[in-house]
Amino acid sequence: MQLKVLLYYMEKQIDDIKAIREMMEKSSKFLSLSGLAGIFAGSMAIAGAAFAYFYLLQNPAATDFNHWQELIILVADALIVLTLSIGFAIYFSWRKARKRNQKLFNKPTLKTIYNLALPLMAGGIFSIVCLVRGQAEIVASVTLIFYGLGLINASKYTFEEIHYLGILQVVLGLLAAIFPCNGLLFWTLGFGLCHIIYGLILYKKYDLK
Amino acid sequence: MANIISNLNKAFDSRIRLGIMSVLMVNDDADFNTLKELLELTDGNLASHIKALESFEYICSVKQFVGRKPNTRYSITESGRESFQSHLNALEQLIR
Repeated sequence: MQLKVLLYYMEKQIDDIKAIREMMEKSSKFLSLSGLAGIFAGSMAIAGAAFAYFYLLQNPAATDFNHWQELIILVADALIVLTLSIGFAIYFSWRKARKRNQKLFNKPTLKTIYNLALPLMAGGIFSIVCLVRGQAEIVASVTLIFYGLGLINASKYTFEEIHYLGILQVVLGLLAAIFPCNGLLFWTLGFGLCHIIYGLILYKKYDLK
Repeated sequence: MANIISNLNKAFDSRIRLGIMSVLMVNDDADFNTLKELLELTDGNLASHIKALESFEYICSVKQFVGRKPNTRYSITESGRESFQSHLNALEQLIR
């Protein structure tokens, strides 16, 4: 008899603790972020970098663009990658939110976006300044570092894995600054490979549940 | 055994109250509708549990107006935080 009561209490307490933990996470974190968003963003980044490398940078003599035309093509390439990545991220997260019976744009989501966007905007403006001043070779490093800082900043409001993804991006950005000749390589590693790896980790750990 | 169970706080002897306290532990504040959505409750059900927790002075409310709509925001009090924390500790001890 006493054992039965004890078992009943233990089961109820375990359920209580589970419910508490779930409610704390659900109310304060952006958990609708889908791993697929990372996998897609990474693939886009690799495609964009491959285009830039094989079309323009590998053999500059093959095309007869002047310096500014080249720059405009590179920026357009990057903007297309960025727009598609954000688009797919919103689409996959919206799908996951619907599955979880939650609104996509609730308070934790907005907090995540805001905290990511602040460093990202600063980095974006800084990159434009670098381009205009003719220091294009530092831009790969700048985008990686500011994006990494944005992720570190936003990771408080979403999966903790994002924190480590952010650190990786900052490290790659610093390496890109030390070895500016390999800027595109580090950029591809950071925005391409790291996104795909972390996307797969998130997808396996949270989406397949 | 009886001793450990008596450490549990009767005020939190409901999944809904646990839910409200959990949300307010990790958020500075939350308004009525946010709580309602998160906990998937009806107005009346949520209101009665909020009232109970307020009477223990575990949570407090601030009424504001957003435009012309009244908006009540709830937050946890210092004693609410302490009580909930010791309730959590008691729960953990019980299953250890």
